[in-house]
Amino acid sequence: MTGSRTQLTAYGGIISSVLAAVLLLAAPWHAASLIGAFLLACVPAGAAVMCWIDSGEAAAQAGLTLVISLAAVAIFSAVMIWIAAWEPRALLALALLAVGSCAYRLRRGGLR
Amino acid sequence: MIRQLLLPDPALAPEERSRPLPALSLKVRSNGTRTAAGAAPLVAPILLPLLGLAAWIVGINQLHPSSIGTWGLLASANPWFLLAFPALVLGFLLELRRRARGWLLALDLIALIVAIHGSVPLIFGAPEYAWVYKHLGIISAFATYGHVTDPANIYQQWPALFAAVAALGSLAHVAPISLAAWAPLAFELADALLLFAIFRLVSGERRTAWLAILLYEGLVSWVGQDYLSPQAFAYLLSLAIVLITLRWLRRAPAVSGGRLARLRAPLVAGLPAPGQTTKAMRAVAVALLTVIYLAIVMAHQLTPYLVLTGIGALTILDLLRPRWLLALLSVAAFGYLVPHYHLIVDNFGGLFSGGTPIDNASGVHGTYHAGAEATTALVVRVLAGAMWLAAAASIAIRRKELGRVIIPAALAFSPFIVLFVQSYGGEAIYRVFLFSAPWCALLIAGALRHLRFPRRLPLRWPLTACVCLAALFAGLQGLYGPARVDAFTRSEVTASQWLYKNVPRGSLVLLPVDNFPALEAANYNDYDLQVMPSDPQLGAAWLDESNVAQVQSWIASLGHDTAYIVVSRSMAASAAYFGAPTGYKNLVSMIPTALGGSVVYHDADTTIYRLSVV
Repeated sequence: MTGSRTQLTAYGGIISSVLAAVLLLAAPWHAASLIGAFLLACVPAGAAVMCWIDSGEAAAQAGLTLVISLAAVAIFSAVMIWIAAWEPRALLALALLAVGSCAYRLRRGGLR
Repeated sequence: MIRQLLLPDPALAPEERSRPLPALSLKVRSNGTRTAAGAAPLVAPILLPLLGLAAWIVGINQLHPSSIGTWGLLASANPWFLLAFPALVLGFLLELRRRARGWLLALDLIALIVAIHGSVPLIFGAPEYAWVYKHLGIISAFATYGHVTDPANIYQQWPALFAAVAALGSLAHVAPISLAAWAPLAFELADALLLFAIFRLVSGERRTAWLAILLYEGLVSWVGQDYLSPQAFAYLLSLAIVLITLRWLRRAPAVSGGRLARLRAPLVAGLPAPGQTTKAMRAVAVALLTVIYLAIVMAHQLTPYLVLTGIGALTILDLLRPRWLLALLSVAAFGYLVPHYHLIVDNFGGLFSGGTPIDNASGVHGTYHAGAEATTALVVRVLAGAMWLAAAASIAIRRKELGRVIIPAALAFSPFIVLFVQSYGGEAIYRVFLFSAPWCALLIAGALRHLRFPRRLPLRWPLTACVCLAALFAGLQGLYGPARVDAFTRSEVTASQWLYKNVPRGSLVLLPVDNFPALEAANYNDYDLQVMPSDPQLGAAWLDESNVAQVQSWIASLGHDTAYIVVSRSMAASAAYFGAPTGYKNLVSMIPTALGGSVVYHDADTTIYRLSVV
């Protein structure tokens, strides 16, 4: 169960990162872009971390993935405001990071 | 349905289950299959939530802003809307009592949260609370200009949430105002996820965790701290800090040692052993916790200190390692506070705002407490008092093994420390309630699950249902009671947007009542927005709005040639609900006559006048 929970987090991280990037960069409708932004805020950064950590319970795994993602997006955005380097698309770097971390986790496998 | 709640609890010990069952019971054959007579109890937990949801949909479709009276949404609602909540709660409890299938309980809980927090956005179609629009102004400013535009504005100096929403809105090409109405629903769903994980960890029981969540949703529904705001965001993050602390950083307290250990011993008697973890995992947990805490520090002024009270209580009880975690988090909080301290002084009178804890707990001063407002305030005060009393009683019941409740007890009552320091503009008590409520809910749920009744009085589940429904309806009155005041119609928002697009920059904009969706534009700071000093809730209220000479004199003192004065449905509702400002109605009638105002904008809910200042 331990391995499957972190694996599931890793798959979720990859799928939501790719989907978020596609929706944000290519979707012709605002509603689709909004779903992309929502996914970007809620999953990738947290999945990049939680795919390596088993919290022992599905709700805890999902909750920590969500909160770590939100915290990362908030800190990243605040820094952009402070240094007056406003480039919201830079948040997509979190999706890239998540794909890398989650893919490495899946390739390596078995880590608890 | 009621009879089903009267059946013995399947989660009880076998000897308790072996008592004779009442007539309506599950009939199980020796091979374990259920007979037709026994199918009903299993169908009811599915049917009831579906009926509740259907009733809510029918009920909400029959409600519209003009149908809501001074006593709020519950008093004005149709039977469908009112029946939806008991159906959802009883469906949840029936399932919890019988099989406690996680997926069904989760769906039922989601439906309940949607019904509680989706109703007002669906009826009004615009974000609730005037102060949400101030937040939207900060978000719009960040999205438009990409840097801090108003350093004297305390919101801009704690930018984490506003910057995040601005960035995501910019990426999606969506105006934040279109999302804000749904923020309470989103925050409550996310909070429930984290709280369920924490409750399971602390209680070690699924049923207690689910029951605690159900109770929590009723208890906190009134407190209104879940709108698009830094505190709602920081609260969610603070739950993750508790989860990480209890999952990876909890340690068994030292049993031998000095006087402190001896003093602590009775408090931790019966404390379950902490879960297994490794040194490396603890280090990762501290790192994660610190990052999340930094996001809280950058988002909100008060929440970091509420988190510190909880971490401090667990540290004093010697329940977490490393002990220096409290010092680390304090350095982060005060390190951010020091360079921004002048803003705390300007807005809250400094770190220590003075006043006794009783003063600091008494909420916003100066309201007239008339009619509906007084009744709703009384309902939520009784709810809050009952919650804390029931939590204290739950601790007293377990006094011989305090360790079983020491963690929720410490977290439930440690937020009160804030009241010794700050009133937070009269809002400290609401934050104390919010941070205390989850642990009180867990304590009460634990007591309800373990109360023992005489054999012939199977009252556990009827009592549980009564407590949950009472908490929910009291909370709903607190939430929906002022709905007519707190919520805005789409046309009011449109009027506000018209104002910022069409009124010349630098103009004086006057609000007779501080209850209008203003300041939501990126250039909010280009206007001189003034609220008439006539409402005792806002401090010194010397102006009588029905006195033409006083009003003219005050407007002239502001130093503009022209003024724009806004009157609206929500202002009238606020004046009627709070009983202040008393002269609002007279002012509205004399603007076009005695004050010589000419209409520049008018729709069903809002009129904007231009005045030449004499």
